[in-house]
Amino acid sequence: MASRVLGTALFRSGFTVQDAPKYGAERRGAPIFSTVRAARGTAINERGVIHNPDLVVVADDTLLTVPAAGILQGLEQGAVVLVNSRESAETWQHRLNLDVQLVILPAAAEVEDRAELPHIGATCAGAAASLLGVIAPDVLAAAIGEELAGLGELVVEQNRRNALAAYRAVQDKKGLVREGKAVAAGDYTPPAWVELSVDDVGIAAPDVRAVANSVQVRTGLWRTLRPTIDYDHCVNCWWVCSSLCPDSAIRVENNTPIIDYDHCKGCMICVGVCPPHAIQGEPEYLAQQREAQSADTGAGDNNGTDTADG
Amino acid sequence: MSEIISRMKDLPSAHLLGAGTPMCSGCGGLEALHQIYDVLGENTVFVNAAGCMTLLSVYPFTPFRGSWLYTAMASAPAGAQGVRDALDLLIQQGRLPPEEDLQVVVLTGDGSAYGMGMSATSGAMDRGLDFIYICYDNEGYGNTGQQYSSATPHGAATATSGGTGGFPGYKKDLFSIWAAHQPSYVATVIASEPLDLAKKIAKARDMSGPRMIIALSPCPTGWDYDPRESVAIGKLAVKTGVWPLKEYENGTVTHTRIPRERPAVEEYLKTQGRFSHLFRPQRNEALLTEIQQRVDRYWAQAQ
Repeated sequence: MASRVLGTALFRSGFTVQDAPKYGAERRGAPIFSTVRAARGTAINERGVIHNPDLVVVADDTLLTVPAAGILQGLEQGAVVLVNSRESAETWQHRLNLDVQLVILPAAAEVEDRAELPHIGATCAGAAASLLGVIAPDVLAAAIGEELAGLGELVVEQNRRNALAAYRAVQDKKGLVREGKAVAAGDYTPPAWVELSVDDVGIAAPDVRAVANSVQVRTGLWRTLRPTIDYDHCVNCWWVCSSLCPDSAIRVENNTPIIDYDHCKGCMICVGVCPPHAIQGEPEYLAQQREAQSADTGAGDNNGTDTADG
Repeated sequence: MSEIISRMKDLPSAHLLGAGTPMCSGCGGLEALHQIYDVLGENTVFVNAAGCMTLLSVYPFTPFRGSWLYTAMASAPAGAQGVRDALDLLIQQGRLPPEEDLQVVVLTGDGSAYGMGMSATSGAMDRGLDFIYICYDNEGYGNTGQQYSSATPHGAATATSGGTGGFPGYKKDLFSIWAAHQPSYVATVIASEPLDLAKKIAKARDMSGPRMIIALSPCPTGWDYDPRESVAIGKLAVKTGVWPLKEYENGTVTHTRIPRERPAVEEYLKTQGRFSHLFRPQRNEALLTEIQQRVDRYWAQAQ
C-alpha cells in the first residue's frame, strides 16, 4: 500500500513511475517488499528488483535482523534508510556500521504487538514522500484518497492524518534523498561466475542428506509476542503445550516443557491452552529490554530457558 | 514405535519434526503434522503434493528425518505408488532389509485431496496401495491466498467468494467418498484433539493397505483470526458438531466423539473473519439457520 501511494503521488507530481510488490514464498510473519522507481520526463526501461536503492523504508525494525529480508543489500554510500523503530538513529548507525544516512520514523501510535501496526503503510509513504522532497502534502493526500477510495472515507481520513503527521515529522530532512543517475542498458555489468568443481553429491551438497536441518532457520525472529513459562505454577502437564505447539518449539526434558525461543514464532497458542495458566505472554520488545537490563546488571537469565541469541 | 496410546500422558514427548519451517504462525496443519509424525516415527517417506506444505522442504532445509518427494498437485498417490514399488523391489532383491522398510505417506492439502487429486487417489485405493494418505484441510487454496476449494464450507468468504452470502457451494463429503472405496481405514482428526488423533494414527500405522486421514486444519491466515485461537477454534469445530470425529473400518463408520450438548454453530462461526458477514452489519438469520440445520441433520442421521 505504501508503494502504491508513493507511486501515485510521484505520478501526480509529474514523474514516470513503476511500483511493484514482491512476495516470497513464506506467509504470515514473513517479510514482504515493494519497490518504486520514478524518473523525470523519460520512460523507465529498467525492470525487476532495484539493485541499488536510493531510499529504503523499513516498516518494522525487527526485519533488519532477518537475513531473508535482505534489507541492507545493495545499499551504496549516501543512501537513505528510514526505519520505524523505538531505537535512536545513533543506535542503528552503531549496529549497522554502514555509510548510509539513517532516519528514524516516529510511528504515530505505539502498540504492544508490532504485528498490528496501524496505518503503517500510510505512515511510511508520508515520511518517504517528505524525504524525497518532490511531493507536496496536498498531492500526498490526493494519492491516498485515490488508492484507498474503495475502503471508505473514514479509512482514507485516518490514513491521511497519519501520512501527513509522518510527512511533518521528518520535514527537517526534506529532500535528503538524492536523485540517482539515469540507468542505461549499456552500463550493466553481469555478475561474476564462480567455477565449482564437480564433486560427489555428499561433498558438493551435503545438506541433501541432512536430517531435520530446518532448525538452522531461526523463525524465532518472526516473534512479536513472547510466551514465558512460570515454573512456579507449571504442573508439568507437558503433553498439552508441547503437543499443541504447531512448531515443535516446546521440548520436554524431565517432564518439564521448555520453550525454544530460537524457533517460537509467537503464535501464543500455549498461553491459551495451559491448564494452570502458567504461561504468560508479553510484547517481545519488552522481554528483550528486560533481558538487556538483566545482562547489564550481571544478573543473567536463569529461568532455565533458551535466550533469543542461544 | 508401537507403544499403546490411551491417555494424554502417553503422547510422544520427543518431537521428530524439525522447527524452523516457513509455515504461518499458529498453523493448524503443521500442528497436526508434527503430532502425526511423532506417532509414525522416523521410518517414513513423505510424498507431498503442491500446496502450503511444499514449503516444508525448501533446499537446503528440511524438517524431516527421512526422504521427501515433491509431486504435482494431482499426482501424489501416483508418486506414492512408485515409492512403494521401489521399496518392495529392493526388499525382494535383498538390497533392503525388511526391517528397514519405510511407511509411505502422502501429504496433500484440500485443494488436491477434495479436488484435482481425487482421481489419482481413487485409483490408488482401487489398487489397494499400501500407504497412508494425510489431507490437511484448511478449506481453501491457502497457499495462494485462500481461493475457495471443494472443501470450503457453505457461506464462507474466500478470495473468490465474497458478497453477503459467501461461498455458495457446500463442503464435499470426502470422508464418505473415500469410505465408498472400502479402503482399510478412513478417519477424520484435528490437532486440537491430540489424543483422538494419536490413537487413530497409531491404528493406521499398524495396518496395511490404503489408510486415509483428513485433518481439519484451522488456518489463521485463510480463516482470518488471531493465531493464538487455532486450538480454541479447533475444539469448537468438534463441540458444535461442525467437524465430526469418526473412523471407517470393515464397512462400518464409528464416531469417536459424539458431542452430546452441541453449542450453536454460530459460536464457531463468529470466531472467524471469513464468516463475519453473517453477523455484520446485520445477522443473516436465513443463512445461519441453514448452516445449523445441516449440522443438526447430520447428527440426527448419525445417531
